[in-house]
Amino acid sequence: MTLLQKSYGYILSGGQILFIILFVYAASSKWIEFSEFEIQLGQSPTLSAYAEWLVWVLPGIECVVALLFIIPRYVLVAFYLSYALLVMFTTYIVVTLYFSDYIPCSCGGVLEVLGWKEHILFNVAFILLAVSGIYSYEYIHKNNVLCQEKRL
Amino acid sequence: MSRKKIVIQLSLIAFLSIGFVTFLFLKSEYRMHRNNAFVRRYPHHPVNKIQDVPIGYNSYYFAGYFENKLYLGNTTAPLHLLEVNIKTRDTSHIMINLNESDLPFNAVNVKLSPPYFFVMDGSVPCIYRGKINNWDAHLWMKDEVYFMNAIPIDSNRLYIKSIHLETKASILGLYSKVGNKKGKVTLNFDLLERQIDGVFDVDGMMVTEKELSVLSYVYYYRNQYLILDKNLQMVQKNTTIDTVATANISLSEPINNGEVKMNAPPLFINKLAALSPKLMFINSNRLGRYEESKMLKQASIIDVYNWRKKTYDFSFYFYNIENESLRELQVYENYLVGLVGNSLSIYELKPQFFDTY
Repeated sequence: MTLLQKSYGYILSGGQILFIILFVYAASSKWIEFSEFEIQLGQSPTLSAYAEWLVWVLPGIECVVALLFIIPRYVLVAFYLSYALLVMFTTYIVVTLYFSDYIPCSCGGVLEVLGWKEHILFNVAFILLAVSGIYSYEYIHKNNVLCQEKRL
Repeated sequence: MSRKKIVIQLSLIAFLSIGFVTFLFLKSEYRMHRNNAFVRRYPHHPVNKIQDVPIGYNSYYFAGYFENKLYLGNTTAPLHLLEVNIKTRDTSHIMINLNESDLPFNAVNVKLSPPYFFVMDGSVPCIYRGKINNWDAHLWMKDEVYFMNAIPIDSNRLYIKSIHLETKASILGLYSKVGNKKGKVTLNFDLLERQIDGVFDVDGMMVTEKELSVLSYVYYYRNQYLILDKNLQMVQKNTTIDTVATANISLSEPINNGEVKMNAPPLFINKLAALSPKLMFINSNRLGRYEESKMLKQASIIDVYNWRKKTYDFSFYFYNIENESLRELQVYENYLVGLVGNSLSIYELKPQFFDTY
């Protein structure tokens, strides 16, 4: 295995672990303070109308994505989904910050200490992690294509 | 998969994700602001902006008006008043003296009822009264009635809003006191109409008008305002041009210690109000048919009603200053005054549009 392949491997597994932690943390903190989360989402200027079902769907999706990262066949799908979720979340923050009537109070847990702007940086970092995860995955699996075909 | 293909895929996902969230945002904006069931009329320049007077702080509120002078109270410096001459725009500072100032104040509010002024805190509860020629106030009421808000209507009477001890519902009432006797509290339980819980849904603004001493109560969340006489009897129940007749708010189940929160941002129908002997001025940020939403970024919409005739007359804009929008509104004689950010905006009402205001 070359050094390049090795480092791609590290990015891949590191990314998987970080994303699993992120999503498990995000989902569980929402469930632990469920009623609080429900009210915060309801007061959001953007998502208020959809709060009723989003309170269930959002942590649900986060759990599913965390699970997908564990199953080897779905790791790539998981990276794409995380990428999409983070882009959506970042768009939400930007839209709320710059275009809405008022800014609601922020998320719970560790992220509470982050201001909205730091939160965007945090999200961008994870978006980049997802992108590098996807590249690493493709790189490693392209080089394994031959063996897979032989097996078939 | 080639590098190029990944880039295309990622951009496509980003595009769809951004589009999806933007769509949700625009849809909720539409729901909050737009109502195609009413149409506003905007005549050409019914008001004339005279000046924006810089007052240095955004913690001022209107305390009253007397002989061409506006008085502004300050929430962070409770005993300080700013006097602004509305004609010359001269300003001067006033300090109020209280004879007993060691009470546990929470939210002090100063209101004028010339020649008297009142210093009030409904959470203590206490009221001081004094004359505006020397700004010395003496303790006038203590521990008789708790109130959320109070406006003096003459030298010994106040229009108050309080809370029913058992039901927690909001109630309008009067407090009056003659001489050194204990005051009298009259509560009118029938004025505020409960729609959901009788607390949040009936929330609104108390407004008064000096010359005739007509009182009014303008609901925040429904298209209605009440006109009351000095004895708190209903004179008229008027509706605004908006069509939301039932408060559109959603409340949580009582959490610990019975605290109830709003589940969603409420739909504000009337945000600010000011009353004159004939007219009611209401600020509403709801858009009617054919109105451009970008105006809401630049100004607040003021609707003018003739409350005696129960008609809607027309609307005009009250402009933002440095991205700050109108926070308080009052009308005194032919002047419409508003607090915007750190400024006091003075507008003149043109007589051809506001015949004897």
